[in-house]
Formats: sequence, C-alpha cells, structure tokens
Amino acid sequence: MENYPDIKGYFGEYGGRFVAETLINVLAELEDTYAAFRKDEAMKAELDYLYKFYAGRPTPVYYAKNMSQKYDIEIYLKREDLLHTGAHKLNNCLGQILLTKYMGKKRIIAETGAGQHGVATATVAALMDMDCTVYMGSVDVERQAPNVNRMKLLGTKVVPVEAGSRTLKDAVNAAMQDWVANCVDTHYLIGSVVGPHPFPLIVRDFQRIIGDEARSQMKDDYGIMPDFGIACVGGGSNAAGFFTGFADSDVKLIGIEAGGRSDKPGDHCMTLSNGRPGIFQGMLSYLLDTEEAQVAEVHSVSAGLDYPSVGPEHSNWKDSGRVEYNFCTDKQALDACLELSRSEGIIPALESSHAIGYLINNREKFKKKKVLINLSGRGDKDLGIIFKEAVI
Amino acid sequence: MKSYNGAYLVADYPDRERFISAALKSLEFFDFLEIGIPFSDPVSDGTVIAKAAYDVIESGVKFNDIMKSIDEIKSKIPADRKLYVMTYANHIYHRGIQNFGKIMNDHGISGMIIPDIPFIESRRFTDIFEQQGLEFIYFITPESKPEQIKQIAQSAKGFIYSVSMRGITGSSMNLKADIKTAVADAKTQTKVPVVLGFGIRDVESCKNALETADGFIIGTRMIELLNEDADNSSFNKFVEELKAKF
Repeated sequence: MENYPDIKGYFGEYGGRFVAETLINVLAELEDTYAAFRKDEAMKAELDYLYKFYAGRPTPVYYAKNMSQKYDIEIYLKREDLLHTGAHKLNNCLGQILLTKYMGKKRIIAETGAGQHGVATATVAALMDMDCTVYMGSVDVERQAPNVNRMKLLGTKVVPVEAGSRTLKDAVNAAMQDWVANCVDTHYLIGSVVGPHPFPLIVRDFQRIIGDEARSQMKDDYGIMPDFGIACVGGGSNAAGFFTGFADSDVKLIGIEAGGRSDKPGDHCMTLSNGRPGIFQGMLSYLLDTEEAQVAEVHSVSAGLDYPSVGPEHSNWKDSGRVEYNFCTDKQALDACLELSRSEGIIPALESSHAIGYLINNREKFKKKKVLINLSGRGDKDLGIIFKEAVI
Repeated sequence: MKSYNGAYLVADYPDRERFISAALKSLEFFDFLEIGIPFSDPVSDGTVIAKAAYDVIESGVKFNDIMKSIDEIKSKIPADRKLYVMTYANHIYHRGIQNFGKIMNDHGISGMIIPDIPFIESRRFTDIFEQQGLEFIYFITPESKPEQIKQIAQSAKGFIYSVSMRGITGSSMNLKADIKTAVADAKTQTKVPVVLGFGIRDVESCKNALETADGFIIGTRMIELLNEDADNSSFNKFVEELKAKF
C-alpha cells in the first residue's frame, strides 16, 4: 500500500492523468516540486507548527461511553470535527497552501460542493495572503449560503457555475478549465483524493495525519488497537487519510458511501458498490455512469458525499479487498446524527453521520468489538437540512 | 502547399437534419470534419460547445442515433473527405477500446480526437486502434517540450492538432511565440499536417493560422453560426466565404 501510486500515477489499475495535453507538464512540475517539498525539513516544520497552533492538532480520540453502553460496542471517535473550520478539509488545505508557496505561485483556485473545502481554502488563502477564487455550482451557492458568506468574509471570490447539474462535479470542471488557462501562475487546490496524478497522492498524504494520530492515540490513551476502522466516502479524502494510518495493521477497514433515497440510479452515490471503472475528471476510477456513458446524476442528503466518482486509491482498495465498502441511507444518517447529538452532545456533519449510521444499523456485527470511527466534521453547516428532513 | 483544414460540429446539433446539412456543406470546403459525440462533462470545451452538447444529450439523442447520422454523411461525401470523432475518454472506455474501434471502422470514421487522453496515457488506446487502422490524433500545446514534440511528431497519424493557446475552446486566439515555435518544430519532424485549433473564427484568424501551421480547425464559430438562424444560412454563407478566400 505504501508503494502506491506507481511511477505513472496508478494505484493498481486506477488513477493516471486523463487531462488536456496542456496540463501534462504542469502536473509533472507539481509532482517534482511535491517530491522535493516532502523532503524539505523547513516545510515539514512549518506544516507541523500550523497543524498544532493554527488548526488545533492533535484532535482527540473520544470514547463514546453512552453509545458504547447502549449497543455493547466499544465506540471511539476521532474528533476531526474539532479542527479549525470544523472538518478534516483544513489538513489538506494547509499542506497545499505551503506547497503553493513553495512553487512560487501567487493565486489559488478550488472547487467546493457544500462549501467546506471552499471555506478551508479561503481560510488558508487569507492566512498566506493569496488571491483565491472558488468555483461552486449555482445550486450549491443557493443551498449553502452561510458558507458562501464565510468565503466572502475571508476575502475569496466565489464564482457560481451554471453548467451541467450546477453542483460539485460542474465546479470541478470549471476549476480545471480555469487551471488550463492560468496554470503558469495558479495552483489548483483540489479538495479530495480525486483528479489526475499527483493529486490523489498529495491529498492522501496531507490527510494521513488523521490515521497516524488516531493509531498512536488508541495505543497511548487506551492501550489498544481497534478491531474496525470506519469512515464515510464521497471523493474519499478523510477515509483515505484515516485508512492509510492503519493500512499495514490487522484493523478491518470499512468505507461508507451515501445510500441516498434508494438504490435506483440517480437516488444515491454508491460509486464503489454500484459503479464500474470509467474515466472522469482526470482519473480512471469507479464511476456512476449511464448506459450511454454519460456521468450519472447522483443524490445524497449530504452535499459532501454528492459525487459520482471516487478517489482511485479507494477503487484499488476495493478490488484488493483491503477495505470493505458499504453504505448508509439518507434516513439512517439523519437518525444517526440525531442520536449522536442526544447521546454524546456531539453534532456530527451529515457526511460523518453516514459512518455512525452504518454502525448502528449493523450493530450485531460489531457487538463487543472495538470500533474507531472517523468523525470527519461537525454538523453546524447542516442544521437547515437536518431540521427540514429529520423528525425532531 | 495546399492547406489542410477541418471543421468541428456537435453531432445532431441543432437537430439531425441541420447537422447533416451543415456537415455536407462544410465538407465542400474543409478536408475533414470532427464530429463531437456529446459527453456530460466536457472539460475542454467552452460554454458554446458545452451548451450545444448538453442540449443534444437532453434531447435524448443516443450514441447509435449519431452513428446513423454519420452513415448518411459518409454516403454523400467524396472519398478524400475524412470524418473524425471527437469525444471524451469515457465513451471509449465504457464501450471497450477494441469494440469502440470496431464501431468507428464500421461507420467509416478515420480516427479519434480525445482531449482527455494525453500522449502519456494514449498507449493502451493506440496499441489497439493502430491495429484497426484508425488514426489517434495527438495534441501539441504551448507547454510542450522539444522532446515531447519530437515523440508526438514521430508517432503522429492523420494530423497533429496544435492548441493555439492555454485555454478551452471558444477562447480568442492569441498566437504567442511559444506555440509558433512548437508548430515549426513539429513540422520539421513529421510527415502529417500540423493543424492549428482553438480560437479560430474568421478569415483573418484563418490567415494568421496559415502563416504558422499547415491548416486550421474551426469549432466554436461553426456552432455560433448554427445558433444564428433556423435554416443554416449564416453557416452556409461562411463556408462560401472560406471557399472564395482559400
């Protein structure tokens, strides 16, 4: 697992660089600079400093006593919801903004769906005084107004995207188009382990602090290794970082996709469970597409999981069997959000609620086991949807 | 030397009849036609082409319908006029590379132009397409390095598509020294025409392109002309103008 990706940017069969010829040398430059960045002790020290004093790392692993007693399962939560800006996204943004500086570029662009990655990007752009443009589908701009305002407050330009389904995937397309035109002075600060090589590698590396930290915390704070590690998967960055920390262990890893309203096409985002390999947004990976090879419309109550493909490393983990992929429906996730809020006083993001919901709905399987869940973000951003959808 | 020029049209846009009529008209002047098979996520296309592609998908046109339109065009054009398919990699991958190549051969397509398959990812496709006698068109860009141009120039079949600038289709042309050098460099090392595309939209920019390259490709402008009226008259007038000037 540590050996991936290979020299051509593949995780087994998946990954690659399916982009315009114009971007090939930009990606090569990024790959080379990143290799040097990784070895640079001063950069590493600066990133460690920012993680600790700016972002609030390490985030704790919390033993969820009340839920554990109720289900007779030892439930541990890796509290990425406590990170500055409220989700794991900042780990990657801090890393990539230092990388941008290291490359000598002055402008960053990003895509965002729910706005979490957009806010995290706007945050680091403000911190490093960089010009920042965030692309966001116009449907998302409307339903995530508070995050749009946060980005504006932080000094970022938010560009609504009117193409296609006007959601996350269209925002990625727009960001890639901007990048093709402006690649000389602009870095594309991609938000998940997706896109052309080396992005899946870079984002996974910046997120693996979640898994590395959690593994040593389980040992140091509780004196154990978990039996299971569970994380939600949309594009898959929190899960990739979390799983990588346990990759060489015996811990059983489970990735949870959004089961949505039903398993009918268009009602869910179960890319790994229901999709098949395809080429989309720069990578060969599992994809939800139609019989006509068009990328499918997808749905999840959680905007952060609302994506028709998945990072190539997850596709490889699925095929190799190292990670099991399963799903949690909209309703189960909403119920889990309510339950964790009431039993532990923690309001989880709807994305992370999918991991909790899966555990609750499959509790027999986990009885008396030690389960570590990556609580990737907090749920404040979802209050509107929670109150609209859930019976409270 | 006679120039070697191509037009780009989105398949079955604005509808099947007008598309076929425009295709036949354009091949009175152009040496080849690129037929765009719409993909839901056309990352290399600007708003004009992306919108046209979106409309075709929304209208329910299927891959097989497009193949039928291609058959009709093929039956009505001289043998020296070539048809290429321009689409995105998922259309090929989804149908299987071998199978996709067979379909192209069955419908008289000369080759494929796939903007999201760069040279370094092309081998798995070209290994099969070359055996099938299909031309896989490579791109050179302002970013291409001399050793990349050399490799591409020597492997090229059909023609080389040089992208006039960093950007997407429908941007305005601005021929900088870097692409002029790249085109000149490619021309000395290849047996096929080196053709300029992206940003070419009138007689003036065609002339500019021909100062540097062996030919030009017009795309976005063709779609805009189809959008101007309901009977292709603007489109036809433009083709007549090109016939008179070149």
